[in-house]
Amino acid sequence: MAMTTSQRARLSKTIQIILFVAIIAAVVLSLDWEKTRYAFFSFEKLGPMFPDMIIVGLKNTIFYTVISFAFGLVVGLLLALMKMASFAPYRWFATAFVEFFRGIPAILVLLAFGFGLPQAFGTTWPQPVNIMLALGLVSSAYIAETLRAGLQAVPKGQTEAARSLGMPAWRAMVTIVIPQAFKIVLPPMTNEIILLTKDSSLAFILGASMAQYEMTKFGRDGIQSLDAGITPLVAAGLFYLVITIPLSLVARKFESRSARTKR
Amino acid sequence: MTTTNNSMAERAAGVEISDLRKSYGSNEVLKGISLDVRPGEVVCLIGPSGSGKSTLLRCVNLLEKPNGGTIHVGGFEATDPEVNLDKMRQNVGMVFQQFNLFPHLTVLENCTVAQIKVLKRDKAKAHATAKLNLERVGLGDFGGRYPDELSGGQQQRVAIARALSMEPTLMLFDEPTSALDPETVGEVLAIMKKLAREGMTMLVVTHEMAFAKEVADRVVFMDGGVVVEEGVAAEVIGNPQQPRTQDFLRRVLDPTHVDI
Repeated sequence: MAMTTSQRARLSKTIQIILFVAIIAAVVLSLDWEKTRYAFFSFEKLGPMFPDMIIVGLKNTIFYTVISFAFGLVVGLLLALMKMASFAPYRWFATAFVEFFRGIPAILVLLAFGFGLPQAFGTTWPQPVNIMLALGLVSSAYIAETLRAGLQAVPKGQTEAARSLGMPAWRAMVTIVIPQAFKIVLPPMTNEIILLTKDSSLAFILGASMAQYEMTKFGRDGIQSLDAGITPLVAAGLFYLVITIPLSLVARKFESRSARTKR
Repeated sequence: MTTTNNSMAERAAGVEISDLRKSYGSNEVLKGISLDVRPGEVVCLIGPSGSGKSTLLRCVNLLEKPNGGTIHVGGFEATDPEVNLDKMRQNVGMVFQQFNLFPHLTVLENCTVAQIKVLKRDKAKAHATAKLNLERVGLGDFGGRYPDELSGGQQQRVAIARALSMEPTLMLFDEPTSALDPETVGEVLAIMKKLAREGMTMLVVTHEMAFAKEVADRVVFMDGGVVVEEGVAAEVIGNPQQPRTQDFLRRVLDPTHVDI
């Protein structure tokens, strides 16, 4: 029997809904709710984690992220300019740097800085400095690529107009090109901060004093010290969302605004 | 306005171009051009696309680097490797086909940014100069707008005001009306005409033959990287001597009667 297109579409939708409901039901029925609740949702037992989770953990997560990002931004801008330089060795260096730090896991860089720097150079500064240096360098590799793309997206005529008004090359870059590139790279840069916020959790593998803990470290310790399954990690996860979701919203707002002003 | 006019005429610089050569790879686009523009003179460069006229114009303020020959602009030898290019360019206004206004700055800021950052003028003086020049192009009330809020013709007028705000001694126009809607071409040409009357030295690449005939003191016809014919505007356009000039003008002036 032949079916019309709309009949076929309705049948397919019905089957999908039945399948979906069946899968949900199977999961719900097969779960041991007592154990699941204990493992993931024992929020009532998290009392001892607070307020340190927020006043130390959340604070440090934000602090490490912001400082790393600022450092990454400076190094990234330098690398982006080197990548566009006419002097070839600058380009080689920047390319090698970017490929290296982008290509290896961030955790290796973190370990190298946390344990390697004191061993090799006898540095005695606190562990968070190593954390921020490592995270900053890793993010600078990504930032460099984003900035280069942004700078090159500004039409050449802008530089020509600036130069023909008597601006030296650096002035044209600072006053005319970079502000325009900044608008272009805002959405991808927000993305970069979000990634960095999450990467700051890697800091937990380096030993640190309690005052230097970030959120993931609190979560890890909570698993051992509290009888609450992995709920401490769930709590840490929720606090990451408290940082990253507003950032996403800001990014989206910038995106729609730059889309509106774009000619 | 008369004092401005007088000082502009007094300050006007000339251009001397001698045996200018420019190649891109093996493609020679300027094959030894010699051309003088006297202070206060208006010279239009005409010719088919690819004839090298835009390249010639862009060589005058060194947006393109010539491969040979010399260019003198005012007191500067543009082709001297030791010349202070930024200093020279402060005196040479340039208007582009695509306007190239700074989209992140307001109309007023477009006209003040170089005054403040390059000429080190204080804000009040820069504002006053910008305002004066925006009024000259008929956009005195548009200072607070952004470029993308303006029509093409208005944007090009702002670009002219931006260049004039540096108080140049020479203005270069690179096909200033080619990217405009037909109905806005006239407002830009009218301002260029006014500028010419005020005594500004102008070198203009254009396809507007009526403008060239009426406003230019001299017209230079270029083709294939050489100057084919030059002379008084009315004669070159009204009574061209060279076959290539005749052919080009016939196509431009009467596009519906071209034999294919």
